[in-house]
Amino acid sequence: MSTSDPAHPSHSQLLDSSRHFRLLRTRREFIGNAFCGFGSLALASLLREQRACADALNPLSAKLSHQPPKATSVIFLFMAGGPSHIETFDPKPLLNNLNGQTRPSEFGEAKYQFIKPDAKLLGTKRTFQKYGQSGIEVSDLFPHVGQCIDDIAVIRSCYGDMVVHSAAQYELFSGRIIPGFPSMGSWITYGLGSESESLPAYVVMPDPDGALEAGQPMYANGFLPASYQPTMFRPGNKPVLNLDLPAGISLAQRRKTIDLIRNLNEAVLDADDPELNARINTYDLAFKMQTEAPSVFDLSSEPQETLDLYGAGSEPTQDYGRRCLLARRLVEKGVRFVCVVSGGGPGNKQWDAHDNIEENHLRMASETDKPIAGLLKDLKRRGLLDSTLVVWGGEFGRSPEAQTGKGRDHHNLGFTMWMAGGGIRGGQVVGATDDIGLRATIEPYHFRDLHTTILHQMGLDQDLLNYPHLGRNERLTLIQGNLIRQII
Amino acid sequence: MSDQRKPMISHLYALHSRRVSRIILPVWRASALAVVISVPAAEAPIESEPLLKPTTGMEISDSDRQFWSFQPVISHALPAVQNREWAKAPIDSFVLERLENHSINPAPPASRQDLVRRLFFDLTGLPPDPEEIRRFISDPSPLAYEQLVDRLLNSPHYGERQAQHWLDVVRYAETEGFEYDRDLPDGWRFRDYVINAFNRDLPYDEFIRQQLAGDEIDPSDPELLIATGFHRLGAVRRNAGNQEVSSSRNEVLTERTDIVGAAFLGLTIGCARCHDHKFDPIPQKDYYAIQAFLAATHENDVVLGDPDQSQQWTNRTAQINREIRTLQRTLQRSGDEAKEQIRAQIAAAENSLPPPPPMIATITNMEPTEIHVLKRGNWDSKGERVAPRGLDVLLPTGASSLPPDTQNRRIALAEWLTEANHPLTARVMVNRIWSSHFGTGIVKTANDFGKNGDRPSHPELLDYLAGEFVRNGWRAKPIHRMILVSNTYRQSAFSPETAAAEKIDPENRLLWRFNRRRLEAEEIRDAMLAVSGRLNPSAGGRSVMIPVDPELVNQLYKPSQWTVSNREEELCRRSIYLIAKRNLRLPFMEVFDQPASQISCAGRQSSTHAPQALELLNGRTANELAHAFADRIRREAGPEPNEQIDYAYRLATGRYPTGAEKTLALAFLASQPLKELALALFNLNAFLYVN
Repeated sequence: MSTSDPAHPSHSQLLDSSRHFRLLRTRREFIGNAFCGFGSLALASLLREQRACADALNPLSAKLSHQPPKATSVIFLFMAGGPSHIETFDPKPLLNNLNGQTRPSEFGEAKYQFIKPDAKLLGTKRTFQKYGQSGIEVSDLFPHVGQCIDDIAVIRSCYGDMVVHSAAQYELFSGRIIPGFPSMGSWITYGLGSESESLPAYVVMPDPDGALEAGQPMYANGFLPASYQPTMFRPGNKPVLNLDLPAGISLAQRRKTIDLIRNLNEAVLDADDPELNARINTYDLAFKMQTEAPSVFDLSSEPQETLDLYGAGSEPTQDYGRRCLLARRLVEKGVRFVCVVSGGGPGNKQWDAHDNIEENHLRMASETDKPIAGLLKDLKRRGLLDSTLVVWGGEFGRSPEAQTGKGRDHHNLGFTMWMAGGGIRGGQVVGATDDIGLRATIEPYHFRDLHTTILHQMGLDQDLLNYPHLGRNERLTLIQGNLIRQII
Repeated sequence: MSDQRKPMISHLYALHSRRVSRIILPVWRASALAVVISVPAAEAPIESEPLLKPTTGMEISDSDRQFWSFQPVISHALPAVQNREWAKAPIDSFVLERLENHSINPAPPASRQDLVRRLFFDLTGLPPDPEEIRRFISDPSPLAYEQLVDRLLNSPHYGERQAQHWLDVVRYAETEGFEYDRDLPDGWRFRDYVINAFNRDLPYDEFIRQQLAGDEIDPSDPELLIATGFHRLGAVRRNAGNQEVSSSRNEVLTERTDIVGAAFLGLTIGCARCHDHKFDPIPQKDYYAIQAFLAATHENDVVLGDPDQSQQWTNRTAQINREIRTLQRTLQRSGDEAKEQIRAQIAAAENSLPPPPPMIATITNMEPTEIHVLKRGNWDSKGERVAPRGLDVLLPTGASSLPPDTQNRRIALAEWLTEANHPLTARVMVNRIWSSHFGTGIVKTANDFGKNGDRPSHPELLDYLAGEFVRNGWRAKPIHRMILVSNTYRQSAFSPETAAAEKIDPENRLLWRFNRRRLEAEEIRDAMLAVSGRLNPSAGGRSVMIPVDPELVNQLYKPSQWTVSNREEELCRRSIYLIAKRNLRLPFMEVFDQPASQISCAGRQSSTHAPQALELLNGRTANELAHAFADRIRREAGPEPNEQIDYAYRLATGRYPTGAEKTLALAFLASQPLKELALALFNLNAFLYVN
């Protein structure tokens, strides 16, 4: 009988491979990985010998990576709606000179969602300043982030395939322009499990202002098992819905019910039954989440200095600051992937500055600049930045041309994202757009290249991390992605 | 028993790698262009227009045609077996032969108690009630089991359960997904159509014809138009602005083509959209030839009922939409102060749109889109123009295409798919039926009968069932019955020889025992409703929205789209009647692996993870129904804990508690409320699994 299991082929091969590493390897972790490697049935005999390791039957138990990981967690600072590269990290002096003119033909064609080919170029009112030893220019929208620039690799040559929100958001998260495919958070959780038993492995903190165009399917597990779905955090101190006990039930009472469930299940259990044992085990995990997670969500234990660092105590940074701080607390406890969304609801509550780039970006940046810098600084001083990959960006950038006079339209041909921590070599700029910020011209990097690089930093390989679906072994990248070698 | 899937698979993606040079393939042979498929008699004479030189060069070889699933279904002689007493039905002979070859004995028969619960869930998705179980177990008739099978096959709940499998396959949802997640007008009518089709055992060939071409068959028949709503089920991207019409059109046609491949052919033809199929003999051209059958399909929302009223609605809607467009133009031009006000006006206008009259979301034929092979699948890299044609590998050599001006192309597509000797259609469907009973198909990859898919564990049995299916007029119920009365199906989920058998066949592909399964998401909720006495069994109609966490609703583009039913009893309808909204999935369903309805789902996952426990321990549904369950126990079993525990177990698990269970439950009730015992029962393996 072949041990190859279509449910998880890449990992099965890894067990025989000497190419995988982990920083820590305990016997229990090994068994946990073995379970996911062979699939439950082929592994049944091994499990029988290792009944003591029944707790390893958690599908989210930590797994070995394909290669030595640089990072163990990802925090994705998702600037929804599409922040302008021209106003943030990609200064274009020529654009100011050409303000009010149509685009010179040598820059080529571009297709936007709304504005027409005769639109006029729009200079920026932002001023740029060099920061850090690297002297990378950052606009006055991000003075706090500028202070961290030596930890940041700015990728000025990103591009995607779609110029409308929904499809671009799907591509940013899942590498596909249609819904239904697993997001990078689900893929990474599938590949690596979680280091924390008492917290969800993959967390999304949406902006309380409301929805995004691609909706929840953008974050979802697609065809991967439900164990890899995101946990959508709610605003406030009780972010996880079913962690709250029903009205009138005490924790002690709940413990009694859980004990009863275990005892009744075990009264009729065949001891050799891995699947049912696993289900019994989930109740203890659930209880553990219920008792331990709330203290992680409670920010009141943080010193005032830390709250201030994130701007978590005052407007306009309060909300994003609190969520960034919570993100740090989560990765500290071993949560694998955290997405902190800035922007939600109507377009102008996102970075979607069609009408007035000034008003929109000044506001959106004022809510996020300090929290993001606070997060980077806090991770760094705690020694967590090395193992936490922080990614910043939106589903696209914004047009060099004006929309309705003062706004900018969507723009997918060239824009900026950045990465920090998690083994990324900061203080450098990668790639470039042309002189008006229209098109990524030097070292263009597609979303798939970002995905490949993110997986790589997590010790995962885009080919080995796959899952059979409708006749193909699907993976995060549709077309083979390239590593952004300069920053790793 | 080695797994046929290629062991490791980074090279699967070779084609998608920019680093791998493209494979040079021989030029398409000219004879393939000369070709026929059956066409309705009324059609114009066939004359293929001269076609340009093909862009793809894959050639179908004889050995391609020899692949098992492309070969005609053949009837095999029943194999000789030793244990003739066990092999009472042909299905058993095919299964037993392979077991005997491996010296594995089938498991003993399941207990009647397990069997009745299994049968109820498999056929209706609901648990049997205690009286039902008692009656069956004590029925002395030698035909008691067969009679129960027949009764359940005729239960109206049969269609509700079977429809769910099909709705998974066709990625049914009632909203369009993407940004606006707009309602498909009365999308639920398609769900009711499918339920009714299964309940009246509509022949599968007719089921295919109606879904693919109902409007072509009879555009005046609402039932047929609803069926053809099949083509409307995919997610649709609707965005304002400078959208490339051809690009959007291409996205729609892609959705409609891929689902035909997955649902009816059981082939991943979508893989041939950008290049010749990597594993199967499906040239890129064949993909577009299938798409060409769908080239004339355009959305059509048919308003039902009084023409005057519907005219009023149409006029009023058009008027408001004009106002909205005017306001949007004004918005573009106006200053910041005015903008806020104009946005409010737009919102008010949108809210004043009159509620739609009854409608059917269907399609109709209009000017056909010219279908070309698209280089790398890009809508603006047009290659050779193609005409409607079936897959080359399934056609006789020299068969020609339909002329590009053919009317009623989709009838032609349906006719081709439902030819009695089509090698895939019947096999694919009987495999789905088999899979609904054994948890896995004879071919494990139910949507992929191609080279990269699984090989059948029992090829002769698959052919036997496919043959019987067609002989019985493509009716599903006789196939279900054949399976259900077999000894193969009636085996216990527990074998005394498990240890030995698992060494030979750990996945139980040979069926040496029955496969225990976890209830699916809808079954869990429906069973909780049934057990607690709260189930509202009424059938059909508009879908129900139940209360969900407001923060989830806030994550909808338009939170006003979520309108909870204000009738309490509606909230207790079966799960198949809950709204299938692409951008707001019900957390309860999601956590138990309900598929996302974005792409075809051939078989459900069955995962096990802590959020499931949290949902069943702390979730609103579980706790409300645990209260109702406790009330029912008190009401119907009286105040005695002994009786209460017996009755609760019979309701939730279909059996009496064991002595040990009884003792534990009694001790619990001495200090804890009955509702918590009721909740615990919803969390037991004995409730969540079917043996």
